[in-house]
Amino acid sequence: MTLPKNVYMALEDIVGAENISDDPAVLDSYRYSLTHTAIHLGPFFDTYTPRGAAVLLPGSTEEVQAIVKLCNKYKVKFKASSTFWSAQGYPSEDNTIQLDMRRMDRILEIDEKNMFAVIEPGVIGATLQAEAMKVGLNTHIPGSGCSCSTLASATSYFGSGPSNLYGGWHYDNLLGLEWVMPTGEILRTGSLGSGCGWFCGEGPGPSMKGVARGFIGSKGAMGVYTKCAIKLFAWPGPGKLPVEGIVPAYKTSLPNNFKAYTVAFPSWKAWADAAYMIWDTGIGYLAHRQFNMFGRDLKYAMIKILTDPTKTLGDLEEILEDPEVQRVTEYCKRDFQIILVGMTRRDIEWQEKAFDEILARTGGWKVEAMHEPEIHKWVLLYLIRLGHKNLNLVFGGSYDGCFGLLGSADYGTAHAEEAAEFKKEWEKRGAMVEAGGDCMMGPIGGQGGGGTCLWENFTCFDPHDKESTDGTLEFFDACTKLGLEKGWGVGMEKWNSVARGPDGRTTPKEERDRIHLAAPQPSVFRYQHRIREAFNPNDLGDAYYETLEDS
Amino acid sequence: MALEDFAAEMDRCSQCSYCKWIPFDQMKSWRFAKNCPSVSYNNFNSYSARGRYAVARSLMRGQSGYSDTVRDIVYKCMTCGACDVSCKVCRYNLEPLQMVRELKFRLVEDGQVLDEHKAVVESLDKEYNTMRQPKTGRGEWADGLEVPRLFSGKAEFLYHAGCRFSYDKDLQKSVRAAVLLLKNAGVDVGIMGEREMCCGGRVYSMGYRNEFTRLAKANINAWAKAGVKTVITSCADGYHAFKRLYPQLGSQVEVIHIVEFINRLIKEGRLTLRSVIPMSVTYHDPCHLGRQGEPYVPWKGVEKKIRNQIIVYEPKKPRYNGALGVYDPPREILRSIPGVELVEMERIREYSWCCGAGGGVREAYPEFSMWTATERIVEAKATGAEALISACPWCERNFMDAINAMGDTMKVYDIVELVQKAI
Repeated sequence: MTLPKNVYMALEDIVGAENISDDPAVLDSYRYSLTHTAIHLGPFFDTYTPRGAAVLLPGSTEEVQAIVKLCNKYKVKFKASSTFWSAQGYPSEDNTIQLDMRRMDRILEIDEKNMFAVIEPGVIGATLQAEAMKVGLNTHIPGSGCSCSTLASATSYFGSGPSNLYGGWHYDNLLGLEWVMPTGEILRTGSLGSGCGWFCGEGPGPSMKGVARGFIGSKGAMGVYTKCAIKLFAWPGPGKLPVEGIVPAYKTSLPNNFKAYTVAFPSWKAWADAAYMIWDTGIGYLAHRQFNMFGRDLKYAMIKILTDPTKTLGDLEEILEDPEVQRVTEYCKRDFQIILVGMTRRDIEWQEKAFDEILARTGGWKVEAMHEPEIHKWVLLYLIRLGHKNLNLVFGGSYDGCFGLLGSADYGTAHAEEAAEFKKEWEKRGAMVEAGGDCMMGPIGGQGGGGTCLWENFTCFDPHDKESTDGTLEFFDACTKLGLEKGWGVGMEKWNSVARGPDGRTTPKEERDRIHLAAPQPSVFRYQHRIREAFNPNDLGDAYYETLEDS
Repeated sequence: MALEDFAAEMDRCSQCSYCKWIPFDQMKSWRFAKNCPSVSYNNFNSYSARGRYAVARSLMRGQSGYSDTVRDIVYKCMTCGACDVSCKVCRYNLEPLQMVRELKFRLVEDGQVLDEHKAVVESLDKEYNTMRQPKTGRGEWADGLEVPRLFSGKAEFLYHAGCRFSYDKDLQKSVRAAVLLLKNAGVDVGIMGEREMCCGGRVYSMGYRNEFTRLAKANINAWAKAGVKTVITSCADGYHAFKRLYPQLGSQVEVIHIVEFINRLIKEGRLTLRSVIPMSVTYHDPCHLGRQGEPYVPWKGVEKKIRNQIIVYEPKKPRYNGALGVYDPPREILRSIPGVELVEMERIREYSWCCGAGGGVREAYPEFSMWTATERIVEAKATGAEALISACPWCERNFMDAINAMGDTMKVYDIVELVQKAI
């Protein structure tokens, strides 16, 4: 027991004995492997986030508030997480209390007329989507997939994903918010703060969304968000997804107002032009360069495996030898997936015509092999529910993304091939899966007629194999070096290293300051420092809330 | 296998928590989205497959030691296998169910056992049943049926009643009906009667591997002496033990669940269900007949890597992910009964919610077991069905107890009972 007994007992009084534990085995099930998934700072072989001081399962806002107040009284750090995807949901300092928010998992309301839902932290994309569809609505599901907390995505991170195009990033979708601030006081933001309901994030009432979320979300370092309202959008499909097929090759048949296409282009410029035209014309429900995450050389063979329940990874080499697979693989090098959804028959007809015109103007083409009925139905279900994100790890057990190339479509496409070639050379060394260098995936933009692309280049390796892990780390270091040389900046392979170091603990202040001062807008972090001083005077979070104190 | 053989998996587990939910593609509502009774009831990560991987690694490395909490984590798992199905929607190189079994085996080997389980094992040692009843009464359920006892005779087909059906008088009409069906179909069937022994499946799922092996070998020998070529059972636990586990010890007998046999009779026109039963029913897939009821495929091989770091197996390894369980025969039987309307629950087939009786949970944690069963009853009632049908006596007993505790009136039937009514 690392917590003083009186503190533990006081916490136990709040949540009940069945909802607190400091058993070492339990605590070890709340540590994250830094040899692992999307940590954006390693990987570091056989290294884990620090063991927590205790794990608590609060069941209400009142319990959360009492816990936070007690933490302030005894100066104990705390970190809340809902669905624990990736390292930032775990403490980076010793003796931190971990709050597992899974007991607070209710959908409190779906306001059909005003198109929003009020949810608790444990609500995941899949359950919210299933309930929303019953009333003709849908929720945006972030890139981390439908297993992840919608509230966490909206309050604590990007909230970007395939349906950015129509559904908006979740930071945009965040409406009213109930926030147990780091001091234990409760702040209700937007219209909620004025007793006007959940419908608006920025007023009438305290317009505190930016303060509450911080830059790219506060990642569990600034109090606990206990409820929020999230914007929903139209779903002109059935109230329940009609799922057929044999596990794991589930698929869905949807009406004719749903069309899933994989399209490819003769050049990256044509690819970017198509993206811009899609935004300009306002078509599309969802668009993502999705299956390229398996790698340019492997993606179609993997789709053959995933859509056939009799196949396994053991069939991969044989499938890759199939001339037809080789032809399609070559044919869809520079591709993306798009789902067009018509709200009416005329709408889908118009969208299809517009999309065909975009392809005609850019020289793009539909990849017919991806439109075979069984694959089409599989793609529809995959992208709408986004319930297979764990395929990120299908090969060796771990992946992480490098480069990122966050920016306009022109920016990403201008450097995509160079980044791919660089990775392809490194793949030959053996530490990571040889997949063709270009394993870049990401959304085709944000909301409102434009936006950004993110070119996460998937790198798959074996977390149980030291040579594989160390070799991948060496590659990521080389990516960072290349990115700096080329002026692309530090890639996403190092994004979290500003908060956590190779030992799993908080990055030293000097290093954090160096990184923040080199950022395009250091003042953001100076501003956050002032916010942290005001809202978190006892500094009970961690460095995932990024601050700069240099004056 | 040993727990150490899963060290790589412990590192390769994605920590994604898919193991806590039914396959996401199949989710139809918030209410019935979860798949794992253990983490749904206990909530800490450690009670999920991902958590148990972490707990096992922590124990193996000496970072934590045995405690009441650790025993609770390990034994509060029904080994229902729902985590295994959900994990394998995306992962081709993890075996979470088998890892959890190995964790239980290790605790038993290390003497970290529960008194409630010890009592069951002692009953097995002395009376060859898990019900803590005298072995002399095991065959009484068949009194008056004029079915040969195979310890003194021979027959090609053996009907194995199993521990629960042999001693639970509320359920026995089903096994009596099953034997009559077999006889009427002209099957040369016998029973072991008071010499019938437990299949060992339940102690296997509690972690007692050696006791299971002893029983399995004894059963295999007894069957060989009696000239048995096919074992038919109405018990899903027994079916799984005979179908999946016994072949690993050399058994070559054919194994058939009674629903497969009845469905075959119906399809061949040898059994016609004529009586109308005006009833809406819903069907519960027993874990051991459904997702764990896939046939055993022998495999001996090694892990290898292709394209540098893609983990595959040489030769190709069979994949148990619930795809080939026994799902359709019971449904086809129910649809064959005039007047019966089958309405499905949300969690069915490979992603069915467990009844709560398995893994030694019913014996050691009755409150948790009843909660799990109650969850299923609530789901069954949400369909509007009047009756809950299953094909496993352990499921049926747990449901009946839960319904009694709830003060509810929903009926529970073994599928053979319904068939008998329809003949």
